[in-house]
Amino acid sequence: MNMNNQVYSARPWLGFPTSKSLGSFGDANCMEQLLVHCANAIETNDATLAQQILWVLNNIAPPDGDSNQRLTCGFLRAIIARAANSGTCKLLTAMANVHTNLAMNNHKFSIIELASFVDLTPWHRFGFTAANAAILEAVEGYSVVHIVDLSSTHCMQIPTLIDAIATRFEVAPLVKLTVAGPTEDFPPMLDLSYEELGTKLVNFSRCRNVVMEFRVIPSSASDGFSSLIEQLRMQHLISAENGEALVINSHMMLHYIPDETLPVVQTANSPQISIETCSSNSFLRSMFLEALRSLDPTIMILVDEDADFTSNNLVHRLRSAYNYLWIPFDTVDTFLPRGSKQRQWYEADICWKIENVIAHEGPQRVERLEPKSKWVQRMRNASFRGISFSEEAITEVKSMLDEHAAGWGLKREEEDVVLTWKGHNVVFATAWLPI
Amino acid sequence: MPADLDNSSTINDYTASGDSSSGNQITPSKPSVKKKRNLPGMPDPDAEVIALSPKTLLATNRFVCEICNKGFQRDQNLQLHRRGHNLPWKLKQRSGKEPKKRVYVCPELSCVHHDPSRALGDLTGIKKHFCRKHGEKKWKCDKCSKKYAVQSDWKAHSKICGTKEYKCDCGTLFSRRDSFITHRAFCDALAEESAKTQTAIAPPCADEEPNIQAVESSPSLPPPAVAPQAPAPPIPPSTGVVSSVLPVQNPELVESSNPSPATTQILEESPTPISTVTSLTTSFGSVSSSSSSGSTSSNVFASLFASSTASGSLQSQTTGFTNLFQVMARPEQTADVAPSSSSEPVSLCLATNQRSSIFGTVGQERRQYAPALQPAAMSATALLQKAAQMGAAASNASLLRGLGIVSSSSPSSGLQEWSGQQIEPEGAPLAAGLGLGLTCDEGSSLKELMLGTPSVFGPKHTTLDLLGLGMAASGGPTGGLSALMTSINNGLDVATAFGGGEFGGKDRE
Repeated sequence: MNMNNQVYSARPWLGFPTSKSLGSFGDANCMEQLLVHCANAIETNDATLAQQILWVLNNIAPPDGDSNQRLTCGFLRAIIARAANSGTCKLLTAMANVHTNLAMNNHKFSIIELASFVDLTPWHRFGFTAANAAILEAVEGYSVVHIVDLSSTHCMQIPTLIDAIATRFEVAPLVKLTVAGPTEDFPPMLDLSYEELGTKLVNFSRCRNVVMEFRVIPSSASDGFSSLIEQLRMQHLISAENGEALVINSHMMLHYIPDETLPVVQTANSPQISIETCSSNSFLRSMFLEALRSLDPTIMILVDEDADFTSNNLVHRLRSAYNYLWIPFDTVDTFLPRGSKQRQWYEADICWKIENVIAHEGPQRVERLEPKSKWVQRMRNASFRGISFSEEAITEVKSMLDEHAAGWGLKREEEDVVLTWKGHNVVFATAWLPI
Repeated sequence: MPADLDNSSTINDYTASGDSSSGNQITPSKPSVKKKRNLPGMPDPDAEVIALSPKTLLATNRFVCEICNKGFQRDQNLQLHRRGHNLPWKLKQRSGKEPKKRVYVCPELSCVHHDPSRALGDLTGIKKHFCRKHGEKKWKCDKCSKKYAVQSDWKAHSKICGTKEYKCDCGTLFSRRDSFITHRAFCDALAEESAKTQTAIAPPCADEEPNIQAVESSPSLPPPAVAPQAPAPPIPPSTGVVSSVLPVQNPELVESSNPSPATTQILEESPTPISTVTSLTTSFGSVSSSSSSGSTSSNVFASLFASSTASGSLQSQTTGFTNLFQVMARPEQTADVAPSSSSEPVSLCLATNQRSSIFGTVGQERRQYAPALQPAAMSATALLQKAAQMGAAASNASLLRGLGIVSSSSPSSGLQEWSGQQIEPEGAPLAAGLGLGLTCDEGSSLKELMLGTPSVFGPKHTTLDLLGLGMAASGGPTGGLSALMTSINNGLDVATAFGGGEFGGKDRE
């Protein structure tokens, strides 16, 4: 765990620690190969081969094995679910139903549980810390700060931001917090409505002598937050002259907006979608960024996981996901004991992602991560300009990382910062200004 | 600020214990000072006021030896040092009369302690004051990055940093401020605290303890005793898994035109368990209608389902996969395996008792070869099983009957009946459909698995069903579970694959 990046990047085969218990079979490389062959077999309808590989995989990748075995087990289940989903007969439909029920078993966190859950690892804290530092600097001097929080973690970043605002500024600005609701259907899932969440945040802000207005705008990533954009646009007309700072904070949320690789939706209800709708659907992601740009935000923060899950080729996606999602499995030993409930929740949430990437297609497949380079290109195309994080922000991130296991690291790439685990990119944080 | 309080206490001590002869504790000349607290300063007016420059104040070793340039914090120490150089030295003697009291002012002009009337009573105090208030905070805590100007403050903090420093009213402790802040914002304790001043309805309770309403699941099984044998045959680490071809072992078995002797033997020698299975089968609702195809046979799915109800008996018997495992561990012994296992009844325990192996096969012997699995969450086995149950319920008896492949008397006819195709008399692969046949061409099946070249075996290789769901043999290279898995093979859907002759029509769904 405490080896430095150089050591790990020099390791063969992606730096995976290999399983010792099962010889060559436990090797992550081998397990990935088997998964790939299995996926290939399923895609080519070679059922015999598929089932045989599945059988082997099942025996070398127990759900309570080491981190690579658990990872592989997650993929194994996802592949089974995919095979079931693609079926047409009753048996498979039934199987899919069972599996859907399984997916529904992802833990719904209470707000307090989620707070401590998110706090366990730098996975989210990295983005929180970097973003909050950049936001604080950007909004200095404004009397009204409008924060649009598009976060998969349900405003978990806001309390520390409010606290920093209260501590840093002599006269705290009025904070308007806007979120898109209701809560989305991907983990971590919250058992609290955003209205109730907002009540707590407003209350907390009051205790810190910060006046906060909280607003939930019904909107969803699946349509590129169109209604949110609409509302913000209306508001922008009024508030632009009032010296109001507009902060767009997107934390691991924008990859849920459909990208160009999503085939045009042909639902049963509306088989006849006009050409215009079709083409625009597939550009929702870039359109969203352009719409944000038109609001002339004071700063935009974009934090997301640095991987590519967008390929329409199952095998490509499988490889990509396997070579990224080993990281959460590999890190978990450093902060959660085996058998703990939190660990079950944590791993179930990763498995949810695996299943979403592997077993689903079309609009159901919402985990559409893109690598940092792709996002940077999108942001530039939308007329944003990247800005560096200040030394102060870097320092804060570093000291945050010091609180966690030794394998975590910080990498600076041009203006951006990247969270690394054993030298592998995990999460990137970028800050943007309108050109 | 703690610094001020420290200083004030120092001064107060001093003034309290100061020269009582001076009499006037509070200087009347400063009536304008607000008395909101005990202000530091107000020293003995008779004391000698010392004003040191910032440089002198911060100099750590201002008493320097002129010979070796070694610095000392105290003159006394320098004098002692000078003795070593044989230089004249002088230690202060305690005189009978009290030495003149000294007080120190802060060199910062804007500071209240710059005024002699607010001077501080000791040199250390003014040093710390100057550093804390006007100096650079160069001591940073590694853990929380708090900064301190005075090293001793930093040391004191370092001792407690990382310990539980923050406590919420709900009782939860936090070591980090932002953890505490985030918790605090959402904790009900805060809501209750401010409920009085709040007009809004208090939000419903969120539990404070992190572990509530959690699914009480999966106490970990004791770690399985994994035998040293590899659980599966070695896979060539190369990437050419699919393309490479290995020679077929035991070709005579593969090409045998008769049902595998091993299979027959097993079936014949183990009538009792089969009847057990059969009874279980009939107990499974809809199976009765399927009796025509394999009434006396062991029904794969029947045993699958039955194993959940009578898992004890079935698992205490062996599983077809035991053979498989044995063979995999010792591929060279392929031929021996079947006889050795033939004394044991064959039942494909797909549903395993609390074990999450996807494809079951958990017999006692299996544990030697494969790690025992934890019943975490919902196992894939359970998934398959449940799906199969649901599917079975949906598509009625034909499914089960279709799965009841092996008839002890005439396996091939049974297969023909359900597969809807004329199957060549090479019966071994058919038997393999039950997993029994695995024994006969086990080695090759493994290779096939590895190689991904089922075509090696040609049409005869119908059902090397490693999964043990063995309801395949539909004439094409389909395994029964394959149909399950992919649903499409040779254009048959499961109803066809399972339903065989009676339900052979395509696309029933």
